[in-house]
Amino acid sequence: MMTLQTTTKSFGEFKALDAVDLEIPTGSAFGLLGSNGAGKSTILRLLCGIYSPEGGRVLIDGEDVYDNVAAKQKVFFINDETIQFSHFTLRQLKDFYKQFYPGFSEEIFKKLEGAVQLPMDKKLSTYSKGMKRQAIIITGIACCTPYLLLDEAMDGIDPTMRIIVKRMLIDAMCERGLTVVISSHNLKEINEMCDTAALLHKGHIIFNRQLDSLKGAVHKVQTVFADKQREYTAEDFPGLEILHFAKTQSIYHIIAKGEEETIRQALAPAEPVVCDLVPLTLEEIFIYELEGLGYDSNVFA
Amino acid sequence: MFDIDINSRTPIYEQLYRKVIELIIKGVLGEGDKLPSVRALALDLHVNANTIQKAYTLLERDGIIYSLAGRGSFIAKPDHLLAQEYILGDFDKAVTAALQSGITSGALCERIDTIAANQGGDSQ
Repeated sequence: MMTLQTTTKSFGEFKALDAVDLEIPTGSAFGLLGSNGAGKSTILRLLCGIYSPEGGRVLIDGEDVYDNVAAKQKVFFINDETIQFSHFTLRQLKDFYKQFYPGFSEEIFKKLEGAVQLPMDKKLSTYSKGMKRQAIIITGIACCTPYLLLDEAMDGIDPTMRIIVKRMLIDAMCERGLTVVISSHNLKEINEMCDTAALLHKGHIIFNRQLDSLKGAVHKVQTVFADKQREYTAEDFPGLEILHFAKTQSIYHIIAKGEEETIRQALAPAEPVVCDLVPLTLEEIFIYELEGLGYDSNVFA
Repeated sequence: MFDIDINSRTPIYEQLYRKVIELIIKGVLGEGDKLPSVRALALDLHVNANTIQKAYTLLERDGIIYSLAGRGSFIAKPDHLLAQEYILGDFDKAVTAALQSGITSGALCERIDTIAANQGGDSQ
Protein backbone atom coordinates (compact mmCIF):
# COMPACT_ATOMS: atom_id res chain seq x y z
CA MET A 1 0.00 0.00 0.00
CA MET A 2 1.15 3.53 -0.76
CA THR A 3 0.05 6.23 1.63
CA LEU A 4 0.15 10.00 1.87
CA GLN A 5 -0.53 11.23 5.41
CA THR A 6 -1.45 14.93 5.61
CA THR A 7 1.30 15.52 3.09
CA THR A 8 2.20 19.08 2.20
CA LYS A 9 4.67 20.23 -0.46
CA SER A 10 5.46 23.75 -1.61
CA PHE A 11 7.72 25.20 -4.25
CA GLY A 12 8.62 28.71 -3.09
CA GLU A 13 5.34 30.53 -2.58
CA PHE A 14 3.36 27.90 -4.47
CA LYS A 15 1.65 25.24 -2.39
CA ALA A 16 1.53 22.23 -4.71
CA LEU A 17 -0.07 19.90 -2.14
CA ASP A 18 -1.98 20.99 0.93
CA ALA A 19 -2.35 18.38 3.70
CA VAL A 20 -3.34 15.58 1.34
CA ASP A 21 -4.44 12.16 2.64
CA LEU A 22 -4.42 9.35 0.13
CA GLU A 23 -4.28 5.56 0.22
CA ILE A 24 -3.44 3.48 -2.83
CA PRO A 25 -4.21 -0.17 -2.10
CA THR A 26 -1.87 -2.91 -3.30
CA GLY A 27 -3.00 -4.49 -6.55
CA SER A 28 -5.16 -1.59 -7.66
CA ALA A 29 -4.85 0.50 -10.77
CA PHE A 30 -5.16 4.03 -9.52
CA GLY A 31 -5.87 7.04 -11.74
CA LEU A 32 -4.83 10.59 -10.85
CA LEU A 33 -7.00 13.17 -12.55
CA GLY A 34 -6.78 16.90 -12.25
CA SER A 35 -6.45 20.32 -13.78
CA ASN A 36 -3.03 21.50 -14.93
CA GLY A 37 -0.90 22.28 -11.90
CA ALA A 38 -3.28 20.40 -9.59
CA GLY A 39 -0.48 18.40 -7.96
CA LYS A 40 -0.57 15.08 -9.85
CA SER A 41 3.12 14.97 -10.74
CA THR A 42 4.04 16.20 -7.27
CA ILE A 43 2.21 13.21 -5.75
CA LEU A 44 4.03 10.80 -8.08
CA ARG A 45 7.41 12.35 -7.32
CA LEU A 46 6.73 12.10 -3.59
CA LEU A 47 5.62 8.47 -3.93
CA CYS A 48 8.91 7.46 -5.56
CA GLY A 49 11.07 9.43 -3.16
CA ILE A 50 12.37 12.13 -5.52
CA TYR A 51 10.78 14.84 -3.35
CA SER A 52 10.82 14.89 0.40
CA PRO A 53 7.52 15.87 1.97
CA GLU A 54 7.52 19.22 3.72
CA GLY A 55 4.79 18.21 6.13
CA GLY A 56 3.21 14.83 6.81
CA ARG A 57 4.54 11.48 5.60
CA VAL A 58 4.81 9.45 2.40
CA LEU A 59 4.86 5.70 3.01
CA ILE A 60 5.32 2.54 0.99
CA ASP A 61 4.16 -0.55 2.83
CA GLY A 62 4.39 1.45 6.04
CA GLU A 63 7.92 2.82 5.53
CA ASP A 64 8.91 6.38 4.72
CA VAL A 65 10.14 6.33 1.14
CA TYR A 66 12.38 9.40 1.06
CA ASP A 67 16.08 8.47 1.35
CA ASN A 68 15.11 4.83 1.87
CA VAL A 69 16.75 2.54 -0.69
CA ALA A 70 14.75 -0.56 0.22
CA ALA A 71 11.47 1.30 -0.20
CA LYS A 72 12.58 3.00 -3.41
CA GLN A 73 13.48 -0.34 -4.95
CA LYS A 74 9.80 -1.21 -4.78
CA VAL A 75 8.88 1.66 -7.09
CA PHE A 76 9.60 2.48 -10.71
CA PHE A 77 8.67 5.97 -11.85
CA ILE A 78 8.08 6.81 -15.49
CA ASN A 79 8.56 10.54 -15.71
CA ASP A 80 6.60 12.72 -18.11
CA GLU A 81 9.92 13.65 -19.71
CA THR A 82 12.63 11.16 -20.64
CA ILE A 83 15.14 13.65 -21.92
CA GLN A 84 17.84 12.82 -19.33
CA PHE A 85 18.70 9.50 -21.01
CA SER A 86 19.22 10.69 -24.55
CA HIS A 87 22.92 9.75 -24.64
CA PHE A 88 22.13 6.13 -23.70
CA THR A 89 21.22 3.33 -26.06
CA LEU A 90 18.29 1.15 -25.00
CA ARG A 91 20.77 -1.58 -24.02
CA GLN A 92 22.68 0.87 -21.80
CA LEU A 93 19.42 2.16 -20.32
CA LYS A 94 18.42 -1.38 -19.41
CA ASP A 95 21.82 -2.18 -17.89
CA PHE A 96 21.74 1.10 -15.95
CA TYR A 97 18.43 0.32 -14.26
CA LYS A 98 19.35 -3.31 -13.76
CA GLN A 99 22.00 -2.23 -11.24
CA PHE A 100 19.43 -0.53 -9.02
CA TYR A 101 16.53 -2.96 -9.25
CA PRO A 102 17.44 -6.44 -7.97
CA GLY A 103 14.19 -7.88 -9.33
CA PHE A 104 15.04 -6.97 -12.95
CA SER A 105 14.09 -9.76 -15.35
CA GLU A 106 16.03 -10.17 -18.62
CA GLU A 107 13.42 -12.67 -19.72
CA ILE A 108 10.54 -10.21 -19.34
CA PHE A 109 12.58 -7.42 -20.93
CA LYS A 110 13.26 -9.61 -23.95
CA LYS A 111 9.60 -10.49 -24.31
CA LEU A 112 8.49 -6.82 -24.09
CA GLU A 113 11.32 -5.66 -26.37
CA GLY A 114 10.19 -8.25 -28.94
CA ALA A 115 6.72 -6.69 -28.94
CA VAL A 116 7.83 -3.08 -29.45
CA GLN A 117 10.87 -3.83 -31.66
CA LEU A 118 13.04 -0.86 -30.85
CA PRO A 119 16.68 -0.66 -32.01
CA MET A 120 18.74 -1.78 -28.99
CA ASP A 121 22.00 -0.10 -29.94
CA LYS A 122 20.91 3.30 -31.22
CA LYS A 123 21.10 6.31 -28.94
CA LEU A 124 17.77 7.36 -27.48
CA SER A 125 18.42 10.83 -28.91
CA THR A 126 17.71 9.34 -32.35
CA TYR A 127 14.37 7.94 -31.10
CA SER A 128 11.06 9.74 -31.62
CA LYS A 129 9.14 10.91 -28.55
CA GLY A 130 6.85 7.89 -28.65
CA MET A 131 9.78 5.47 -29.06
CA LYS A 132 11.55 6.98 -26.03
CA ARG A 133 8.41 6.45 -23.98
CA GLN A 134 8.15 2.84 -25.11
CA ALA A 135 11.82 2.31 -24.21
CA ILE A 136 11.39 3.59 -20.67
CA ILE A 137 8.05 1.81 -20.17
CA ILE A 138 9.38 -1.64 -21.11
CA THR A 139 12.47 -1.04 -18.96
CA GLY A 140 10.23 -0.04 -16.08
CA ILE A 141 7.97 -3.07 -16.37
CA ALA A 142 11.00 -5.40 -16.63
CA CYS A 143 12.34 -4.03 -13.33
CA CYS A 144 9.49 -6.06 -11.76
CA THR A 145 8.84 -3.63 -8.93
CA PRO A 146 5.59 -4.08 -6.99
CA TYR A 147 4.67 -0.46 -7.80
CA LEU A 148 4.80 1.36 -11.13
CA LEU A 149 4.08 5.07 -11.48
CA LEU A 150 3.27 6.54 -14.87
CA ASP A 151 3.14 10.29 -15.39
CA GLU A 152 1.29 11.06 -18.61
CA ALA A 153 2.93 7.89 -19.82
CA MET A 154 0.97 7.33 -23.00
CA ASP A 155 1.82 10.77 -24.36
CA GLY A 156 3.19 10.59 -27.88
CA ILE A 157 2.51 6.87 -28.30
CA ASP A 158 0.54 5.80 -31.35
CA PRO A 159 -2.85 4.04 -30.96
CA THR A 160 -1.59 0.54 -31.80
CA MET A 161 1.34 0.85 -29.44
CA ARG A 162 -0.98 2.18 -26.71
CA ILE A 163 -2.95 -1.04 -26.82
CA ILE A 164 0.27 -3.06 -26.64
CA VAL A 165 1.49 -1.03 -23.66
CA LYS A 166 -1.88 -1.36 -21.90
CA ARG A 167 -1.78 -5.11 -22.44
CA MET A 168 1.74 -5.23 -20.97
CA LEU A 169 0.49 -3.43 -17.87
CA ILE A 170 -2.63 -5.59 -17.54
CA ASP A 171 -0.48 -8.70 -17.96
CA ALA A 172 1.87 -7.58 -15.17
CA MET A 173 -1.14 -6.76 -12.96
CA CYS A 174 -2.62 -10.25 -13.51
CA GLU A 175 0.67 -12.11 -13.30
CA ARG A 176 2.26 -10.56 -10.24
CA GLY A 177 -0.28 -8.17 -8.74
CA LEU A 178 1.51 -5.03 -9.92
CA THR A 179 0.07 -1.81 -8.46
CA VAL A 180 -0.14 0.94 -11.08
CA VAL A 181 -0.64 4.65 -10.53
CA ILE A 182 -1.40 6.59 -13.70
CA SER A 183 -1.75 10.32 -14.13
CA SER A 184 -3.40 11.31 -17.35
CA HIS A 185 -5.61 13.83 -19.07
CA ASN A 186 -6.92 11.05 -21.23
CA LEU A 187 -10.04 10.11 -19.32
CA LYS A 188 -10.85 7.25 -21.65
CA GLU A 189 -7.56 5.64 -20.74
CA ILE A 190 -8.13 6.11 -17.00
CA ASN A 191 -11.60 4.66 -17.48
CA GLU A 192 -10.26 1.53 -19.15
CA MET A 193 -7.24 0.85 -17.01
CA CYS A 194 -8.16 1.99 -13.53
CA ASP A 195 -10.48 0.69 -10.85
CA THR A 196 -10.10 3.74 -8.61
CA ALA A 197 -9.47 7.40 -9.35
CA ALA A 198 -8.84 10.61 -7.42
CA LEU A 199 -9.56 14.09 -8.72
CA LEU A 200 -7.13 16.83 -7.66
CA HIS A 201 -7.48 20.57 -7.87
CA LYS A 202 -5.08 23.18 -6.50
CA GLY A 203 -3.31 20.78 -4.18
CA HIS A 204 -6.45 19.24 -2.70
CA ILE A 205 -8.24 15.97 -3.34
CA ILE A 206 -11.77 16.66 -4.54
CA PHE A 207 -12.84 13.03 -4.53
CA ASN A 208 -11.27 9.59 -4.37
CA ARG A 209 -13.49 6.67 -5.26
CA GLN A 210 -14.04 3.53 -7.24
CA LEU A 211 -14.79 4.32 -10.86
CA ASP A 212 -17.83 2.02 -10.96
CA SER A 213 -19.47 3.80 -8.05
CA LEU A 214 -18.49 7.19 -9.47
CA LYS A 215 -20.46 6.56 -12.62
CA GLY A 216 -23.85 6.43 -10.91
CA ALA A 217 -23.00 9.18 -8.45
CA VAL A 218 -23.66 12.31 -10.52
CA HIS A 219 -26.58 12.83 -12.88
CA LYS A 220 -27.50 15.16 -15.65
CA VAL A 221 -31.18 16.15 -15.42
CA GLN A 222 -33.36 17.71 -18.07
CA THR A 223 -36.69 18.70 -16.66
CA VAL A 224 -39.75 20.88 -17.18
CA PHE A 225 -41.75 21.90 -14.11
CA ALA A 226 -45.54 22.21 -14.01
CA ASP A 227 -45.50 25.92 -13.22
CA LYS A 228 -43.89 27.29 -16.36
CA GLN A 229 -44.23 30.92 -15.26
CA ARG A 230 -42.14 30.46 -12.17
CA GLU A 231 -38.36 30.99 -12.29
CA TYR A 232 -36.72 28.28 -10.22
CA THR A 233 -33.18 28.60 -8.91
CA ALA A 234 -30.80 26.09 -7.32
CA GLU A 235 -31.89 27.44 -3.90
CA ASP A 236 -35.38 26.02 -4.46
CA PHE A 237 -33.96 22.52 -4.00
CA PRO A 238 -32.09 22.67 -0.70
CA GLY A 239 -31.91 18.88 -0.34
CA LEU A 240 -29.88 18.54 -3.52
CA GLU A 241 -26.17 19.05 -4.09
CA ILE A 242 -26.20 20.94 -7.38
CA LEU A 243 -23.08 21.42 -9.50
CA HIS A 244 -24.71 23.21 -12.39
CA PHE A 245 -28.09 24.86 -12.86
CA ALA A 246 -29.25 26.49 -16.09
CA LYS A 247 -32.45 27.13 -18.00
CA THR A 248 -33.16 27.42 -21.71
CA GLN A 249 -36.75 28.30 -22.55
CA SER A 250 -38.77 26.15 -20.19
CA ILE A 251 -36.24 23.35 -19.87
CA TYR A 252 -33.99 23.20 -16.83
CA HIS A 253 -30.53 21.64 -17.18
CA ILE A 254 -29.28 20.49 -13.81
CA ILE A 255 -26.19 18.55 -12.80
CA ALA A 256 -26.73 17.08 -9.36
CA LYS A 257 -24.96 14.63 -7.11
CA GLY A 258 -26.75 11.57 -5.86
CA GLU A 259 -28.53 8.43 -6.96
CA GLU A 260 -31.37 8.68 -9.45
CA GLU A 261 -34.11 8.14 -6.81
CA THR A 262 -32.70 10.77 -4.43
CA ILE A 263 -32.68 13.35 -7.20
CA ARG A 264 -36.21 12.53 -8.36
CA GLN A 265 -37.50 12.88 -4.81
CA ALA A 266 -35.75 16.22 -4.32
CA LEU A 267 -37.30 17.59 -7.53
CA ALA A 268 -40.77 16.17 -6.83
CA PRO A 269 -42.15 19.21 -4.92
CA ALA A 270 -41.76 21.33 -8.10
CA GLU A 271 -43.92 18.78 -9.95
CA PRO A 272 -41.79 17.96 -12.98
CA VAL A 273 -43.90 17.12 -16.04
CA VAL A 274 -40.86 15.75 -17.84
CA CYS A 275 -37.75 14.56 -16.03
CA ASP A 276 -34.93 12.79 -17.86
CA LEU A 277 -31.92 11.60 -15.91
CA VAL A 278 -28.68 10.24 -17.30
CA PRO A 279 -25.53 9.44 -15.35
CA LEU A 280 -22.47 11.54 -16.28
CA THR A 281 -19.49 10.27 -18.20
CA LEU A 282 -16.11 10.54 -16.50
CA GLU A 283 -15.25 13.52 -18.67
CA GLU A 284 -18.46 15.33 -17.68
CA ILE A 285 -17.80 14.57 -14.01
CA PHE A 286 -14.34 16.08 -14.37
CA ILE A 287 -15.66 19.25 -16.02
CA TYR A 288 -18.64 19.85 -13.73
CA GLU A 289 -16.81 19.04 -10.49
CA LEU A 290 -14.16 21.63 -11.35
CA GLU A 291 -16.74 24.10 -12.63
CA GLY A 292 -18.25 23.94 -9.14
CA LEU A 293 -14.85 25.08 -7.85
CA GLY A 294 -14.61 28.00 -10.23
CA TYR A 295 -12.53 26.23 -12.91
CA ASP A 296 -14.96 26.91 -15.69
CA SER A 297 -14.82 26.07 -19.39
CA ASN A 298 -17.54 28.67 -20.04
CA VAL A 299 -15.13 31.58 -19.55
CA PHE A 300 -14.35 31.28 -23.23
CA ALA A 301 -17.58 30.83 -25.11
CA MET B 1 -17.71 -11.04 -29.11
CA PHE B 2 -17.60 -9.21 -25.78
CA ASP B 3 -17.09 -5.75 -27.25
CA ILE B 4 -17.76 -2.95 -24.82
CA ASP B 5 -18.11 0.82 -25.11
CA ILE B 6 -15.53 2.61 -22.99
CA ASN B 7 -17.25 5.96 -23.48
CA SER B 8 -20.62 4.66 -22.37
CA ARG B 9 -22.23 5.95 -19.20
CA THR B 10 -22.83 2.36 -18.13
CA PRO B 11 -20.03 0.89 -15.99
CA ILE B 12 -17.86 -1.60 -17.88
CA TYR B 13 -18.67 -4.51 -15.55
CA GLU B 14 -22.39 -3.91 -16.09
CA GLN B 15 -21.95 -3.81 -19.87
CA LEU B 16 -20.14 -7.12 -19.70
CA TYR B 17 -22.81 -8.62 -17.46
CA ARG B 18 -25.52 -7.61 -19.92
CA LYS B 19 -23.44 -8.79 -22.86
CA VAL B 20 -23.18 -12.33 -21.51
CA ILE B 21 -26.95 -12.48 -20.93
CA GLU B 22 -27.57 -11.11 -24.41
CA LEU B 23 -25.30 -13.75 -25.96
CA ILE B 24 -27.17 -16.45 -24.06
CA ILE B 25 -30.55 -15.12 -25.21
CA LYS B 26 -29.34 -14.99 -28.80
CA GLY B 27 -28.12 -18.56 -28.50
CA VAL B 28 -24.49 -17.66 -29.15
CA LEU B 29 -23.55 -19.02 -25.73
CA GLY B 30 -25.17 -22.20 -24.46
CA GLU B 31 -25.10 -24.36 -21.39
CA GLY B 32 -21.61 -25.62 -20.57
CA ASP B 33 -19.81 -23.19 -22.91
CA LYS B 34 -16.57 -21.91 -21.47
CA LEU B 35 -16.06 -18.18 -20.98
CA PRO B 36 -12.62 -16.67 -21.62
CA SER B 37 -10.48 -16.41 -18.48
CA VAL B 38 -10.47 -13.10 -16.62
CA ARG B 39 -6.90 -12.51 -17.72
CA ALA B 40 -7.56 -13.34 -21.38
CA LEU B 41 -10.59 -11.08 -21.50
CA ALA B 42 -8.77 -8.24 -19.69
CA LEU B 43 -5.96 -8.45 -22.26
CA ASP B 44 -8.40 -8.72 -25.15
CA LEU B 45 -10.48 -5.70 -24.13
CA HIS B 46 -7.46 -4.00 -22.49
CA VAL B 47 -9.44 -3.15 -19.41
CA ASN B 48 -8.56 -3.72 -15.79
CA ALA B 49 -8.85 -7.36 -14.70
CA ASN B 50 -10.65 -6.36 -11.47
CA THR B 51 -13.47 -5.01 -13.65
CA ILE B 52 -13.80 -8.29 -15.53
CA GLN B 53 -13.67 -10.20 -12.26
CA LYS B 54 -16.48 -8.06 -10.89
CA ALA B 55 -18.73 -8.93 -13.85
CA TYR B 56 -17.93 -12.65 -13.50
CA THR B 57 -18.61 -12.55 -9.76
CA LEU B 58 -22.03 -10.97 -10.33
CA LEU B 59 -22.86 -13.43 -13.12
CA GLU B 60 -21.97 -16.28 -10.81
CA ARG B 61 -23.95 -14.79 -7.92
CA ASP B 62 -27.01 -14.65 -10.16
CA GLY B 63 -26.57 -18.23 -11.31
CA ILE B 64 -25.86 -17.32 -14.92
CA ILE B 65 -22.39 -18.83 -14.93
CA TYR B 66 -20.57 -21.23 -12.64
CA SER B 67 -16.87 -21.70 -12.12
CA LEU B 68 -14.79 -24.78 -11.53
CA ALA B 69 -11.55 -24.30 -9.62
CA GLY B 70 -8.62 -24.40 -12.02
CA ARG B 71 -10.81 -24.94 -15.07
CA GLY B 72 -12.59 -21.67 -15.63
CA SER B 73 -16.09 -20.24 -15.89
CA PHE B 74 -18.96 -21.87 -17.76
CA ILE B 75 -22.48 -20.96 -18.78
CA ALA B 76 -25.04 -22.47 -16.41
CA LYS B 77 -28.34 -23.99 -17.47
CA PRO B 78 -30.13 -20.96 -18.95
CA ASP B 79 -32.94 -19.65 -16.81
CA HIS B 80 -35.64 -18.67 -19.30
CA LEU B 81 -37.60 -16.66 -16.79
CA LEU B 82 -34.53 -14.57 -16.00
CA ALA B 83 -33.86 -14.05 -19.69
CA GLN B 84 -37.43 -13.00 -20.34
CA GLU B 85 -37.40 -10.66 -17.38
CA TYR B 86 -34.26 -9.07 -18.78
CA ILE B 87 -35.83 -8.51 -22.20
CA LEU B 88 -39.09 -7.28 -20.69
CA GLY B 89 -37.17 -4.77 -18.59
CA ASP B 90 -35.99 -3.04 -21.77
CA PHE B 91 -39.49 -3.37 -23.23
CA ASP B 92 -41.03 -1.64 -20.19
CA LYS B 93 -38.61 1.27 -20.52
CA ALA B 94 -39.38 1.70 -24.22
CA VAL B 95 -43.15 1.55 -23.58
CA THR B 96 -42.92 4.09 -20.75
CA ALA B 97 -40.99 6.50 -22.97
CA ALA B 98 -43.49 6.00 -25.81
CA LEU B 99 -46.51 6.59 -23.57
CA GLN B 100 -44.89 9.72 -22.14
CA SER B 101 -44.34 11.10 -25.60
CA GLY B 102 -48.06 10.74 -26.30
CA ILE B 103 -48.21 7.49 -28.26
CA THR B 104 -51.36 5.60 -27.25
CA SER B 105 -51.32 2.05 -25.96
CA GLY B 106 -53.57 1.11 -28.87
CA ALA B 107 -50.96 2.32 -31.36
CA LEU B 108 -48.29 0.37 -29.51
CA CYS B 109 -50.35 -2.83 -29.61
CA GLU B 110 -50.89 -2.38 -33.33
CA ARG B 111 -47.15 -1.96 -33.77
CA ILE B 112 -46.45 -5.16 -31.87
CA ASP B 113 -48.87 -6.99 -34.17
CA THR B 114 -47.11 -5.59 -37.22
CA ILE B 115 -43.69 -6.67 -35.95
CA ALA B 116 -45.01 -10.12 -35.10
CA ALA B 117 -46.56 -10.45 -38.57
CA ASN B 118 -43.28 -9.45 -40.22
CA GLN B 119 -41.40 -11.99 -38.14
CA GLY B 120 -43.77 -14.63 -39.47
CA GLY B 121 -44.94 -15.41 -35.98
CA ASP B 122 -48.31 -14.78 -34.46
CA SER B 123 -49.24 -12.40 -31.69
CA GLN B 124 -51.51 -14.77 -29.80
